[in-house]
Amino acid sequence: MTSAVTIPRHGGTGGRTAVAARARQVVKAYGAGETRVVALDHVDVDISRGRFTAIMGPSGSGKSTLMHCLAGLDTVTSGQIHIDETEITGLKDKKLTQLRRDRIGFIFQAFNLLPTLNALENITLPMDIAGRKPDREWLERVVETVGLAGRLKHRPAQLSGGQQQRVAVARALAARPEIIFGDEPTGNLDSRAGAEVLGFLRRSVDDLGQTIVMVTHDPVAASYADRVLYLADGRIVDEMHQPTADQVLDRMKDFDARGRTS
Amino acid sequence: MTVLKTSMRNFFAHKGRMALSAVAVLLSVAFVCGTLVFTDTMNTTFDKLFAATTSDVTVSAQGASDTGETTSGNGKPPVMPASVLGEVRKAAGVQSAEGTVFSTSVTVVDADKDSLSPSSGAPTIVGNWNGNDARTMKITSGAAPEGPDQVMVDADTADKHHLKLGDEIGVISAVGTHTARISGIATFQVTNPGAAIFYLDTKTAQEALVGQTGVYTNVNVTAAQGVTHEQLKKNVVARIGGDYKVQTAKETADANQQDVKSFLDVMKYAMLGFAGIAFLVGIFLIINTFSMLVAQRTREIGLMRAIGSSRRQVNRSVLAEALLLGVFGSVLGVAAGVGLAIGLMKLMGLMDMHLSTDDLTVAWTTPVVGLLLGVVVTVLAAYLPARRAGRVSPMAALRDASAPADARASRLRGVVGVVLTGAGACGLYLAATADDAKRGALWLGLGVVLTLIGFVVVGPLLAGGVVRVLGAVLLRVFGPVGRMAERNALRNPRRTGATGAALMIGLALVACLSVVGSSMVASATDQLDKTVGTDFIVQSDSGQLITPQAVQAMKAAPGLERVTEYKWTKADFSTPDGKTLKNTAITAADPTYATDLRTETVAGNLADAYRPDSMSVHEQFAEDHDIHLGSTISVAFRDGSTAKLTVRAITSSDVVIDQGAMYTSIDTLATYVPADRMPLDQLVFATAKDGQQDAAYTALKAALHDYPQYTVRDQTDYKQELKDQIGQLLNMIYGLLALAIIVAILGVVNTLALSVVERTREIGLMRAIGLSRRQLRRMIRMESVVIALFGALLGLGLGMGWGATAQKLLALEGLTVLEIPWSTIVVVFVGSAFVGLFAALVPAFRAGRMNVLNAIATE
Repeated sequence: MTSAVTIPRHGGTGGRTAVAARARQVVKAYGAGETRVVALDHVDVDISRGRFTAIMGPSGSGKSTLMHCLAGLDTVTSGQIHIDETEITGLKDKKLTQLRRDRIGFIFQAFNLLPTLNALENITLPMDIAGRKPDREWLERVVETVGLAGRLKHRPAQLSGGQQQRVAVARALAARPEIIFGDEPTGNLDSRAGAEVLGFLRRSVDDLGQTIVMVTHDPVAASYADRVLYLADGRIVDEMHQPTADQVLDRMKDFDARGRTS
Repeated sequence: MTVLKTSMRNFFAHKGRMALSAVAVLLSVAFVCGTLVFTDTMNTTFDKLFAATTSDVTVSAQGASDTGETTSGNGKPPVMPASVLGEVRKAAGVQSAEGTVFSTSVTVVDADKDSLSPSSGAPTIVGNWNGNDARTMKITSGAAPEGPDQVMVDADTADKHHLKLGDEIGVISAVGTHTARISGIATFQVTNPGAAIFYLDTKTAQEALVGQTGVYTNVNVTAAQGVTHEQLKKNVVARIGGDYKVQTAKETADANQQDVKSFLDVMKYAMLGFAGIAFLVGIFLIINTFSMLVAQRTREIGLMRAIGSSRRQVNRSVLAEALLLGVFGSVLGVAAGVGLAIGLMKLMGLMDMHLSTDDLTVAWTTPVVGLLLGVVVTVLAAYLPARRAGRVSPMAALRDASAPADARASRLRGVVGVVLTGAGACGLYLAATADDAKRGALWLGLGVVLTLIGFVVVGPLLAGGVVRVLGAVLLRVFGPVGRMAERNALRNPRRTGATGAALMIGLALVACLSVVGSSMVASATDQLDKTVGTDFIVQSDSGQLITPQAVQAMKAAPGLERVTEYKWTKADFSTPDGKTLKNTAITAADPTYATDLRTETVAGNLADAYRPDSMSVHEQFAEDHDIHLGSTISVAFRDGSTAKLTVRAITSSDVVIDQGAMYTSIDTLATYVPADRMPLDQLVFATAKDGQQDAAYTALKAALHDYPQYTVRDQTDYKQELKDQIGQLLNMIYGLLALAIIVAILGVVNTLALSVVERTREIGLMRAIGLSRRQLRRMIRMESVVIALFGALLGLGLGMGWGATAQKLLALEGLTVLEIPWSTIVVVFVGSAFVGLFAALVPAFRAGRMNVLNAIATE
């Protein structure tokens, strides 16, 4: 079994790819009876290790719910989810918390950082919480990669939105999680800052062998991924490999058109 | 109207966040109303009691005090001959008159010689069963006393001591011990708050209390139809002349009431003072609540301003919320206050003070005062946050983060705080170095108030430093969780400062009083060690004088080297400066008293004052009346003749025990006062032979076995008793301060609870990236502990400063030793940490239960 600190060995492109996370027949439903709303409807998905996966879909398609369930933030109604070989469905809060702490990284759309901690403290926070010493060399490399070396002592309020997201990326990378989940990580950024952050994510997959799953509705953001999954009405309806922004956009338009006519 | 509507909606939307503020208002208002209702009820009870037990006109012997206590030196109540009764009966307008004999200078014991006197400090009264009593009491079992071997007891006392008909009772007065059996039990028809009352028949009462028949202490006169009390009084005085004290029912009741009233007033104002402190602490809580509500609503307020609300409207909408809170809390507080008063009455019942809820008195002013106080204080407290809300710019609606702290405001705050604290410190310094107690007290008061305000103002700035130090010492152990707790506590220094300051106030008072209290004990102990050269002191705790028989018994005890008698009487002095000083106290003691109490002299030798026709005066008196060694003072002793006494010693005025006493010997007193008028001993001192202290102590106790009205104490007992008394007083004050501290704890809970709400997203984020519930709860607990310890540190420091200053000032009054009760201080400090833990319980629990996803999604 892969330990929490294993560095994924495979490069981002080519070669054998193991499965970092998988969902089988996952159902997530809210409410009961007539008011029952199904957010995820028997979803099967494999997240490849060392690859950058984007999840797309219109609002209410269940893309965020899928990510939350995969990341152990939300519980499922039925079905199984595995992170590597560990089944996380049915884990108690304590174990789930540990799993998130040791094996998963997060980048949220906004409010990623604790305002009371400076950039460096925010980056090392998950390891601090776990009581682990950060690997100095690795940390320096991560910090360098995201280009924050000069701003480590700054508080979040003293950083721009793009810089804040880069700190969030660094935090997600620093603990060497098995998977990083991003929930619209560039949603609050202008296109230039967004491109910067996405560039870092791409590079962390290519250079550091990181596995990343990102929810987005931005075709440009999705074009950075190796693979794009399309969700609609709680089901995976399509996927695309090595996409370009235009391809993604076209596919989206298709869905929109279909959605409108159906 | 829209303003009010928005306020109402906001108020009810955030009722959870207002809950603790409402409780704070409720508690303070309840305490005020409870105090008022309780003291009013006590007044009603005593009014009814005195009205019921007082006859239309009462004639008492000259020299009797208004409340009937023994004032003559021989330990017996002042009396008048029975012929007065006959004369009174002949006066015009008298329907009936009855002679009564009673005394409060008595001890009543059961067959085992255990005292039946109330422990509450209420009097023990023994008297004859007369018509007045028959009107106010009902014999509920047995019969009224007849003959020397019968006694009747009141039902409350009988219940408490499980007395039955036929039980033996001993009445001990200056005359001796009279033994009788219970013939009846009588129940009061009005509420008797706690006096123990025993009835004998008239002849027996005369013999047992005065030692002779044919005398009365009082004559109760009932007016004939249509005769006013005033008229009756005039008629009686006209008949019997001015040798007796004649009072109408109203005068007697007023005089009785006076004593009770002054006691109740002291109690009332003391309790209101503590309620005031609770209010003060509550203000911090309310300020914090509204500040947080306003901060959380910044965007909303910005939006309202953007769409055209004026500053005043925003301001008023916040104040309207405060008004609602004030009204809500106060109304509940008034109701709770009545409940509190009833609770207090029940509590007094446990301490032998019987009060009836039938007498429950709620004056119309009570709810008005309660409501007014609660509402005004709440609105005033909300004023600052409301003004801040008014200043929110319309831009706030568009900005995400709340505005950063205003640096200039905090610098101004620092300057103002330091200046106030400095001025306060100067006041304290002046108080400590003052050589006039009155002026010093003024400086002390000023210093206390200014340093308190100064600390409150500068508190938020101190919070930074203190929390960092506490963090370095305590929190680093807990790693990142501790660090985050520290940062959170530092995040809004104004909030941490105000929360800590609330706790500071209560704890400062605790620290100050504990310093003064233990300094009192230490100083008194020091004085006793330095000046007292005797082993045992014998006195009666009920104020009874010591009879010659008892003194004889003591003198007969083996192992004693000497026994010193100590009497006290009054005399009219004619001093060399030509003045006459009426009714001046003079102490007559055995010459050995000069050894028993080593009083310093500024001139002469104190032992010489005990030579025949000699005396001593104290320094101040000598200065005032131009007295030197060898001066002669003419002293007209009460109940005796006039002596010319030579001053042979002048004692220092700077003493604690017997301050201002003037001494002469008992032999000198006996030369001028006939033996049967000699005052009895107030105190008796006994000194054991070397090495026989323990044996002598046992022997003395045995010798006094037949005199249960007297207590013998050795120096250790005496010191212990002193310590206990001061300890008891302190505990009572701590109990009252507990209210303020509870409100302060509510404040800590409030701050944490609101902080948790405010930081929902942050908590969600931390939980998402792997902070466990336990760590989260620990983080909140740590923050709470740090805030509590910050308050404790400031409070204890400030309080010890006050206490030390008070001691320096009171050194003028003999409080010469400063003792800091470190154990108390440490216990309070450590206790504060636990208070912090306790306060964090609910907020931490709720934070732990927060749903991670919802928390992240919160705006």
